[in-house]
Amino acid sequence: MRKPSRHARGASHDAPLLPFVLLSAGVLAFVLWPTIAILRESLYPDGSFSLACYEDLIVKNYGLIENSLFIGFWTTLFALSIGLCCALYVTHTDYRGKRAVLAVLMMTLISPPFMSSLSYIMLFGRRGLISWKLLGLHWNPYGPHGIILMESVGLASIAAFLIMAVLKGMDRDLETASLDLGAGKGATLTKITLPLARPGIVTAGLIVFIRSLSDFGTPIFIGGNYSVLATHAYTTAVGSYDLPKAAAISTLLLLPALVAFVIYRRLMGKNSLFSVKPGGGTSSESRLPRALGTVIYLVVWSYVAFEIAKYGAIFCGAFVKTWGVDFSLTYRHMEALKIAKMGSLFRSLKYAFTAATAAGLMGVLMARYLGRAEGPLVRMIDFVADLPFILPGPFFGIAYLLAFNWMPEAVLASGFLIVTNCVYRQLSIGIKSGISVMGQINPELEDAVRDQGGGPLAALRDVTIPLMTPAFAVSFINTFTFTMTTVGGIIFLITPYTKVMTAEMFEAIQSGDIGASSAMASVIVAVTMAVNLIFSRVILGGKRREDRDVSSTERP
Amino acid sequence: MRKATILIALSAVLAVASISFAQTDKPLAGQSISIFVAATGIDETFAEFTKDTGIKVNYLEMSSGEVLTRLRASKGKNLADAWFGGGVDSFMVAGQEGFLESYVSPEAEKIPEEYRDPDGFWTGLSLVAVDFIVNKDILKEKGLPAPKSWIDLGKPEYKDEVMMSNPTISGTNYSVIFEILEIFGEEKGWEVIRNIDANIPFYTKRGSAPPNKAAMGEVAVGIDPYDVGVKLIAQGHPVISVFPEEGTPGSLAPVAIMKGAKNMEAAKAFVDWCLSKRGQEVQMANTAKVGTRPDAEVPEYLKGLKDAKIILVDPIKSGEKRKEILGRWQKEFGEKTE
Repeated sequence: MRKPSRHARGASHDAPLLPFVLLSAGVLAFVLWPTIAILRESLYPDGSFSLACYEDLIVKNYGLIENSLFIGFWTTLFALSIGLCCALYVTHTDYRGKRAVLAVLMMTLISPPFMSSLSYIMLFGRRGLISWKLLGLHWNPYGPHGIILMESVGLASIAAFLIMAVLKGMDRDLETASLDLGAGKGATLTKITLPLARPGIVTAGLIVFIRSLSDFGTPIFIGGNYSVLATHAYTTAVGSYDLPKAAAISTLLLLPALVAFVIYRRLMGKNSLFSVKPGGGTSSESRLPRALGTVIYLVVWSYVAFEIAKYGAIFCGAFVKTWGVDFSLTYRHMEALKIAKMGSLFRSLKYAFTAATAAGLMGVLMARYLGRAEGPLVRMIDFVADLPFILPGPFFGIAYLLAFNWMPEAVLASGFLIVTNCVYRQLSIGIKSGISVMGQINPELEDAVRDQGGGPLAALRDVTIPLMTPAFAVSFINTFTFTMTTVGGIIFLITPYTKVMTAEMFEAIQSGDIGASSAMASVIVAVTMAVNLIFSRVILGGKRREDRDVSSTERP
Repeated sequence: MRKATILIALSAVLAVASISFAQTDKPLAGQSISIFVAATGIDETFAEFTKDTGIKVNYLEMSSGEVLTRLRASKGKNLADAWFGGGVDSFMVAGQEGFLESYVSPEAEKIPEEYRDPDGFWTGLSLVAVDFIVNKDILKEKGLPAPKSWIDLGKPEYKDEVMMSNPTISGTNYSVIFEILEIFGEEKGWEVIRNIDANIPFYTKRGSAPPNKAAMGEVAVGIDPYDVGVKLIAQGHPVISVFPEEGTPGSLAPVAIMKGAKNMEAAKAFVDWCLSKRGQEVQMANTAKVGTRPDAEVPEYLKGLKDAKIILVDPIKSGEKRKEILGRWQKEFGEKTE
């Protein structure tokens, strides 16, 4: 017997079940099956059960595990600090330039993660513009300090947006009450604001930690001989193509991710941090103690200055002859790009649009059921759909390779796997924002349409679809950006027919070609930015200005 | 009467047109081909191929070791029709393991026998030489002389200043290890390698990374497949090219067709073109490798290669010893790979 809860009533009962069944089957096939396949490969390396891949795995990789955790810990600490400062700056101060801060945060969110490493060498390498030309320093840029610095700066924007979402969503009257009742600004911050923001901070911490663990680009480019688990998994798979071994190594990566995932689920429930809810209004008066405000001011603007230098270096690198040697202007790199890499750019765009549309529609449709239906099966689908969001990119990439290698070549050469990989890795954001919108739709609205004689289709057309559009937009923009910039999961799935821009850029950075990689990075950022802006304007219109940070998105 | 003239004229025009159409000799125009590549100057080279044949090219850059392991992992499934450039040892293994199609191009007879596989699985395309790309500024800063030999490269004063790519992945750098062992003998050879290793902060994955890093001033010396370094010098980086005086490996970069290639005709046309006089000259113009075809014109900028002491790596022996040498290398030095 079921409780006649609000959820169990209304629309979901009459809604056609078939699409949901199909979508659920998709989730099982493209999330659960690859995950099983990778575990199976590591346990049955030659077709029969063997723990050979796991033997000595911990002992042999102990140093790598230690390195990964070391990098992860410090990165999380720094990224959270910067992110929290930015979030407080935007929501809790009356300082100027919030738009600029938001713009810089958004910019870092939509650029390929390993772009940082490129500008790091350009600015802080042994012959870097700042470290050598300006300061005349002799130092070694390679090593853990470089990784921690670049990952912290790169992941700070995710942390900032996650914390900002919570700070915006919370009830500002509580703070006002605290202040009115005579509590100081400091006490209000530590006793009211931060405790309320805790879920956001913890989630941000978890996500940053997982991202850091699974990032292989930064350590490859600037780690020197300081290696981490993710790079080892990557080189084992791509370099020596020892898939069972790579599978086993990625499984090590999986353990901390799963722990974090459970905490994340418990904290988040069915709600989205990527909410499209209008936030509480920003107060015009600073709510921070003066000293803290000054610290935050300094941190935020140093961060902004750093990011501007980073992007400046890359944009300049795309237009100067030979970075570090000859700074005269040239269109050479852009021209080379136009001749040779246009195909990859168009392919990237094609895949990104396909993935974004699919993820948007699927997310909204699934949210419609998951938001209102109950039961163990539904909960399981919800759980599985959430998984890839937190699974390390290389793990999911290798998993796809193992699970779908049997597909006909025509399918593999069509980019199908690259698109599905991106769709399913970002689906959970679409579902979550869909659900959070669903929560705001009164089921009786749909009932009302039906009572007036409209069929389920009419209810869908007149009520659900218009209301779901923002959720679709969030999912679309998010998946689009992700597909344009990711490399971790898809690098394993690239074929001569499916080369995408990020893969080309990864290749160019790896060979150390500054001109070509800067040109590609600039193009990726410009195109992604343009699509983000256009799409936010068109779909979300001028509705709510601050909600244009809907692209508070996720990245590999 | 007039009609007849017109008819005759028309048919003459048609005949000429059809002959000239046949003479454009692009029977495969519109087809496409996919290629695994380990080489520089590819965009330019392939653009010429497309111009000549009308065949569209899709390529993916992959070091030769990577191609080999990918072939093994995909269990016979082919995502490429042809394989262009890289270390010959990987081609030999791939041929033995049944991943390659036997094809003897009509152009191949112009190519000396020692550059061809007797079974026809691959044909030598060009010769790659290895040199050092040395950053003058870094040396001046540190007060060091430029290294002249493999022995020099292992001297303690170059600590952390030498870069090389991982020989298990890069065919070029496998040939370096192989040739050092050939030149110095087994025992002394491993000692030389050990000394050089002590100066290498880490091994890169791409053969083109070390010279680029040296050009950027990230290290003083990068072990370089000559075609990469030549470009960096031309771009104005403060680097010079040094050929080690004990001798340096010249290794063969082959071309091959994958077993059961989907676009077999186009793949054959590609191999024919690569081995033709024109194809070889296009390659030499765009990448600093010397073609294998004696009748192809060597451009001026490549002639400096002639003075270097280049020892052609014996493809059969290097292929046979690959596993043993790399196994030992991996065991001793594999920890520092990227």
